[in-house]
Amino acid sequence: MTTATLNDMEAVNRRILDRRAANRSLPPYRAALIPEVTDLLASYFDKVCPGAVVDGVRRVGGGASKEQFFFTLTDAEGARQQYLLRMDPRSAITETDREREFILLQAMAGVVPVPEAAWVDPAGSHFPQPAAIMKVVSGVTKPSGSGVKVSGLGTWLGEDLRAKLRDQFLDHLVTIHAYDFRANPLPGFEVPDADDLQAARWVINYWHELWRIDHGETRPIVALAQQWLADNLPPCPPENLVLTHGDYRTGNYLFDEASGQITALLDWELARIGDFHEDLGWVLMQIFGTNEDGTFRASDLFEREEFITEYERRSGRTVNRTTLHFYDVLSSYKCYVICAANGLAAARSQHNHQDVLLTFLGCATAIFAGDLVRLLSQGAPA
Amino acid sequence: MTPNVDERLASIVRALSEVILPHLPPEASLAQEQVHLCIGHLQILRAQFDAVPAFEREELDDAVAVARDLAGTVTGGEQTTAALAAMNAAVAAADGGDVRGQRAAVLEAVDALVKAVSADGSSNAKVALPGIILSHEAPRTLKDRQWFAPFGFDTL
Repeated sequence: MTTATLNDMEAVNRRILDRRAANRSLPPYRAALIPEVTDLLASYFDKVCPGAVVDGVRRVGGGASKEQFFFTLTDAEGARQQYLLRMDPRSAITETDREREFILLQAMAGVVPVPEAAWVDPAGSHFPQPAAIMKVVSGVTKPSGSGVKVSGLGTWLGEDLRAKLRDQFLDHLVTIHAYDFRANPLPGFEVPDADDLQAARWVINYWHELWRIDHGETRPIVALAQQWLADNLPPCPPENLVLTHGDYRTGNYLFDEASGQITALLDWELARIGDFHEDLGWVLMQIFGTNEDGTFRASDLFEREEFITEYERRSGRTVNRTTLHFYDVLSSYKCYVICAANGLAAARSQHNHQDVLLTFLGCATAIFAGDLVRLLSQGAPA
Repeated sequence: MTPNVDERLASIVRALSEVILPHLPPEASLAQEQVHLCIGHLQILRAQFDAVPAFEREELDDAVAVARDLAGTVTGGEQTTAALAAMNAAVAAADGGDVRGQRAAVLEAVDALVKAVSADGSSNAKVALPGIILSHEAPRTLKDRQWFAPFGFDTL
């Protein structure tokens, strides 16, 4: 590819990359303290919601990228509402844009279950880093008593919850993919329709550039995968362009444990307009699924072929196996970049509030290297 | 060495587990999570500490092996020839004196060769290169997965 095509990506992603590179020389970041966050919220609401009172600020556990805090806001009329503050650390395992996530949550309201987006500080003009505030939704990301799993990876739901959740999980994905982004454009979301390869080109350019900026330590299978991805961009005809979620998996939705009802789809920060196969490849990643008696279940919900055929049946789309293979490889490559480059770079630069988690997650990179070996050895199915 | 590394790590794990963790208030969720991760990290480090030099030496040997196989097969134009020369120099310098640095240098050179072959490698090189890399990386990634299996992500 030429230099011009290597730079071809969404403007927002170029801004994210530039910000990440520019932040490299900044001093270390430390976790925000509860009194500091309380003061920040109080002074923020003095401006945007005069008369409101903030109390009950507490940190939310789990997650690998944002600093998150629950708090209660009592407005001037005395109405109380629980909110969640999501604030970027200086550098994270995934570098994303709070405004983009905010726009998407607003657009998805009433389409699929999402938290209600309330306020956003996209440039960190009040908060020390970009931040967004949303209403709290009840629910859990994993069954109680399922044990401690870092960042929700490999969550085991069990037979009962699996039966309750699987149809919702798939139907919500089909609904997201059916969102009419041409009739209802999302501000800032560009459409990769200059040519049929642009959808795939945008995504590999972004992830290759992230790898370069964060000085990922190379190995032969990563070099081979990078070249293979560049040489095998799959065409995406206009009808295959959809709104993708970008991180669709168990662990990234809330559900009511008693009823099994999904109450909110979370973590939209990697969403974009792209090829629908991109979400399918991500859902089908081994790391997000479970293995029970030799049976792999994606997100502990569907066996691989079952998921593909059910997606086809419910969406009316046809899954192209060669394209899906490309996005299988891309998903493993993205995970490798996230763990081996982005997370470790954030930890090395002391720009994150949980370096020890990032180095812990870095120890998963061998799995993704193994996935790349397996996928590139087997090739696309005939 | 008195005290030895294992004794020192063990004492840190015990302090974190039995002194610090129980005294953290319930609302200090981030601190609790991070203490648990520290304990997990340290326990794995204790178990692997003695094996680290041999593991890293084998990593270097495996990097040299894939580079040598590529050097014996790959041909091409100007870019490929230059990348081969740089890779061979990195291999020649890999005497084990600086295991991590030399491995990184060899792997960077292999990375550059992959790109060069894509640009102007011979047709034979373009066909052979993926197979050579995959044949070396299959056992190498398995060793890595086994090494990091105690972290609990892998279902080996």
